[in-house]
Amino acid sequence: MIRVNDLHKEYHVVKKGQGLSGAVKGLFKSEKLTVNAVNGLNFHINEGEIVGFIGPNGSGKSTTIKMMTGILTPTSGEVLINGQNITKHRKEAVRDIGVVFGQRTQLNWDLRLEESFELLRHIYRIDKKQYSETLEVMDEILGIGEILSKPVRQMSLGQRMKGDLAASMLHSPKVLFLDEPTIGLDVGTKYSLRKFIKEINRLRKTTVILTTHDLGDIQQLCERIIIINSGVIMEDGNLSEIVERIAPYRTLKVEFYDSDIPKHERAELISEDNNVACYKFFKSELTAAELIRDLSGEKAIKDISIEEAGIDDIIRIAYGIKNVE
Amino acid sequence: MKKLLDTLGHYLDVTLCNIKLALMVIIEYPASIAGWLISNPIQFIVGFATIKFVVAQFGEINGWNYGQLAFLYGLSVISHAVSMMFFVQGWFMGYSVIEGDFDRYLTRPLGVLYQFFFTTFNIFGITDLIPGIVVFIYGCIETGFRFTLGNAVGILVMIIGAAFIRGGIYIMLGSTSFWTKSANDFGQYTQEIFDKSTMYPISMYPESLQFILTYLIPIGWVSFYPVSGLMGIETAVGIGSGNVWITFAVGIIVMLAAGLMFRIGLRRYESAGN
Repeated sequence: MIRVNDLHKEYHVVKKGQGLSGAVKGLFKSEKLTVNAVNGLNFHINEGEIVGFIGPNGSGKSTTIKMMTGILTPTSGEVLINGQNITKHRKEAVRDIGVVFGQRTQLNWDLRLEESFELLRHIYRIDKKQYSETLEVMDEILGIGEILSKPVRQMSLGQRMKGDLAASMLHSPKVLFLDEPTIGLDVGTKYSLRKFIKEINRLRKTTVILTTHDLGDIQQLCERIIIINSGVIMEDGNLSEIVERIAPYRTLKVEFYDSDIPKHERAELISEDNNVACYKFFKSELTAAELIRDLSGEKAIKDISIEEAGIDDIIRIAYGIKNVE
Repeated sequence: MKKLLDTLGHYLDVTLCNIKLALMVIIEYPASIAGWLISNPIQFIVGFATIKFVVAQFGEINGWNYGQLAFLYGLSVISHAVSMMFFVQGWFMGYSVIEGDFDRYLTRPLGVLYQFFFTTFNIFGITDLIPGIVVFIYGCIETGFRFTLGNAVGILVMIIGAAFIRGGIYIMLGSTSFWTKSANDFGQYTQEIFDKSTMYPISMYPESLQFILTYLIPIGWVSFYPVSGLMGIETAVGIGSGNVWITFAVGIIVMLAAGLMFRIGLRRYESAGN
């Protein structure tokens, strides 16, 4: 469905000297720095996949998404959407995509939601029957019906986001790009947004490409993740396989009756706070049952919980950030 | 051919939808148009009163009598109004470049420049039309201008060409933001320059300036040359009713050049960081 071949994007930054003298010098002789924001990306995404695109700020992830949606022109390389080169045949290729940016709306502030939709209906030449069918589905999943006649400027962030999502789906695109869709949303709205993404993926086989800093989004939605940093792909694959490989451990949190905390030879005690202790252990060496059995043999246990290796660990490791615990 | 007609039909359909929506916004916020309806006409009527005063003092300006000047002034304001309705967004293109407004247009299956100008249709431009038409009619009566079919077509052709020249120049100035990466607002300067060089005969300026306004930045073709043609006044490039068609051609050329410059600039578009 999507093919990205050897994608590059360079920016030229003019290096300026400091102060007035630097600024004056810059007028005559400027030093140009070339920044490789995206440096040779290759991947393809099949129909019906939900792919999480993650990376720290400034990693080139937004630049990549913007090249994939036809907003930025690649320095070299190509993006094919459903076989069409989005740079060369933008107008044709963008018919197959829907784009939602969490931080900006594509709705008109001055209009009611349904008026913005009406304009989109004309732009994408959606016939009335299909239009009302899609609206019905959107109402079912997102509850869009109750905000249709509300002016966009009066909407809450959550309502606006729902409006934006519905707007991006009106022309039934094959691919949906979501750039930080859950940013700033409350728990309830996040939940319905995730439900929406799952539903359209199931019902319409819509391919979804999602960038997010929200680990919940990734855990609940993405089977596949692509981790990008410094403009290159660090990891690309099945989420649980990557977790298994990069962080094949779990954490057991145990609450004892007093602060005398026992140690275990095959589990690392990573934190203790009064009578609560966290043990990190590798799945290959030790089962949770064994660890609990051994610990309860030494001290009475009040309560326990097990945490899978967090996706946050994966991200920390992949981003190259040291665990500061 | 069928495909071209189909595309044109599609754009027309979207345009009508946009105009409809623009009207709805005005109906929603009626106070805003009231302000425009008062301030815009006053601005131009005062401008014309100034000319009347000057002519009353000196009899004429550079061989142009009062009626002819009204005719020129009126047509200049009319083409200004048309350019305001369709191309005023060009003044603010720099902001759109910096703020990343083109993201939205680039992800939709229509021309970017088309969407930039027509998704926020400036219906208020109509308020500029009123003083233009009033002064123009006054000029017609004063000069005894005869509305033959040829003249009517000529004026229409000229207004379209003139609006294209203005719009094309707005686009070119706005497109510089793709290179400078800053939101230069040329609106006020362009307005000043256009006012000074289209509302009065440019023959009153030094020859070097006339040369620039004729060949380099073809503002002379917005109103001075075509109106000279219609009025039968001799100019440096000769007289003739054919001038209106040259205006039309210059308009198309300026617009095409502007479109090309915009396209090249758009490749350098960097969107806005999050």
